[in-house]
Amino acid sequence: MIKGYAGRILEVNLSRRSFEYKPLDEETARLYIGGKGYGTRLLYDRTEAGIDALGPDNPLIFATGPLNGSAAPQTNRFAVVCKSPLTGGIGNAACGGSFAYGLKKAGVDLVIVMGVSEKPVRLLIDGDRDAVEFIDASELWGKGTYETQEILGKKKYHAVIGPAGENQVLYAGIVSNERIAGRTGVGAVMGSKRLKAVTAQGSRKLDMEDPEKFKEYTREVRRIFREHPVLGDSLKRFGTAGIVNTTNARNIIPTRNFQRGSHPEAYKLSGEYMEDHELKGIKSSCIHCPVTCGRDVEVEGKGRVKGPEYETVALLGTNLDVTDLKRVSEWNYQADDLGMDTISLGATLGFAMELQEKGLANFGLHFGDVKGIGQAIEDIGHRRGDGNELADGTRKLAQKYGGMDFAPHVKGLELSAYDPRGSFAQGVEYATTNRGGCHVQGASMYMESVGPLTINPQNLRLKADLPVLQQNLACAINSMVLCYFTTYGMVPKAVHDMPADSFARKAISTAMEFSGPMMGLAMRRKGNAMIWYEKWLRYITGAPMSSGHLQEIGERIFNLERMYNLREGLSASDDTLPRRILEESTFDHMESGHPLHLLLPKYYKKRGWDAQGVPKPETLQRLGVRV
Amino acid sequence: MGVNVELTYEMGKLLGEHHFELQDVHSVAEVLDAVRARFGDRGERLTELSRHAAVAVNGVLVNYKKGKRTRLQDGDRVSFVKASAGG
Repeated sequence: MIKGYAGRILEVNLSRRSFEYKPLDEETARLYIGGKGYGTRLLYDRTEAGIDALGPDNPLIFATGPLNGSAAPQTNRFAVVCKSPLTGGIGNAACGGSFAYGLKKAGVDLVIVMGVSEKPVRLLIDGDRDAVEFIDASELWGKGTYETQEILGKKKYHAVIGPAGENQVLYAGIVSNERIAGRTGVGAVMGSKRLKAVTAQGSRKLDMEDPEKFKEYTREVRRIFREHPVLGDSLKRFGTAGIVNTTNARNIIPTRNFQRGSHPEAYKLSGEYMEDHELKGIKSSCIHCPVTCGRDVEVEGKGRVKGPEYETVALLGTNLDVTDLKRVSEWNYQADDLGMDTISLGATLGFAMELQEKGLANFGLHFGDVKGIGQAIEDIGHRRGDGNELADGTRKLAQKYGGMDFAPHVKGLELSAYDPRGSFAQGVEYATTNRGGCHVQGASMYMESVGPLTINPQNLRLKADLPVLQQNLACAINSMVLCYFTTYGMVPKAVHDMPADSFARKAISTAMEFSGPMMGLAMRRKGNAMIWYEKWLRYITGAPMSSGHLQEIGERIFNLERMYNLREGLSASDDTLPRRILEESTFDHMESGHPLHLLLPKYYKKRGWDAQGVPKPETLQRLGVRV
Repeated sequence: MGVNVELTYEMGKLLGEHHFELQDVHSVAEVLDAVRARFGDRGERLTELSRHAAVAVNGVLVNYKKGKRTRLQDGDRVSFVKASAGG
């Protein structure tokens, strides 16, 4: 068996209360690595088109990668793959916490959960006994994610849902410790199966091709990360909310349902403000991660809990015209305990507020008014009253009440907190990413509007090339199930140290902007392993690995996801942005919004797709995508 | 003619205000001079803090306009902005 893998997949059937271990397919592992790559392959192969996402035939797949369980930093994450009840297309999400570690200790690469339990149930995967216990979870049903994990045991490795998942809120997530696999409604799928929790345990060790080289190199990478201005400093000090002042200044922080890109008081939601004020707290992290990007805050009545991330302070903050950090922290706690994606939650509440403002609906929610928001979040989690409608997300709300022009979603998945009118490549990503309006399956905005080396975000140069390369890389990284923050280390410290107006920084940025074809050639070259992704995989699995290999693997996964979506009835008409984003300008030098119509045809061409966005047969053949 | 100036968080903390209005400034260069004057004898610390801060007008870096010579209009927002990382 290829090293780095346990060599087995666990298949569980909740209807029959049965389980079976099956061998991991090595060829699939070589082609798709693990995580969402392998998971998507299984989903495509095991399901027919048109299944009910909340029915028994939708497999809920938990997937690890070959680095999970190793000592490499930022590598203990798991992926969840299923058909999304929110979008109707590919659903996937990833999460830190500790569950991935537990799965690897249990000697399991992937878990496929099929069927529906008659009553609430939880699973205990015991790798040492090769057993799976089906344990009645009736007494846990209804409890929040914090209490559930407390009862199950804090020192153990769990993946749980809260009331939001139980009630099949379409943007419910799956929680491990204080992290959440939030997007696309994976928690609703788990709830539809009446599966409350999965616990994994065991004492298996990870097998490697070259453990000595791995150990030596990992020591070097830890040093690089420790000394890096982002991974070793700013993320540790300010958390992800350290980006607030940058996105605000660059006019891309969503404000009042994406009506604007800045808020005069946004700094009160920033990581720096959090560090300075009464919400300063102890930092938290995923298991074995040295970055500690999480921070604890004090919430009245609850004590010390995990504090809000950037997406939360933006979408539950400026997006609602609220800059009260205490309130946003309370709502974050509520959402985490209920087990909900704060991105979709915040975007849905913002949309509801604009519907209210325009007289199209009456949810009693108003921009700038904190009153009623906490209750709305509870009601959503329990699908009570208006919460029942709000639990279905912006697309369904717009279908009922109108306002589709300003409903902030793509393919049904709510946009994350980077307004693409100030970041054109990010807009192309939003429109084309297979799971919908997502920023972590590419994150081009870092190279356009936020990071130390940025290209002009509002011309057309590189705006079709960059998303392709970024999406491919993200697919590969997500399939290894590493933390995407490891990409921050790819911009060396020396660049961060350059003054903002230095000739060197401007020269590099300009060169990047004109480098489209060269960049593609460089990244697709199959040479030696240069950076940690490639080296870790090489030392663990023994397979030759380079930037070009990762691009090819990522491209393969991206195209398979695309084929899944096409099979489920999505099409090029879903590769779009909300009309507000396309037509309303938030910059005084622009007459309109995002020029997607100019970039999408170029993007399709670079992908090797036809004009209708369908992968050409020669593209699928080149990549070895079997459909 | 007035413009709104937004400082980086550290600059704002040093000055005791994170954003303020400036009157009678017509270019980015004049804003920089006015900000320096506002910091007074904390100029050295300002230099340190602004080393890694770019300047944007209405969200667009002045690199993509005319740099310090960029002309301003009434109501413009001039922001000092640092690179950062988030999620």
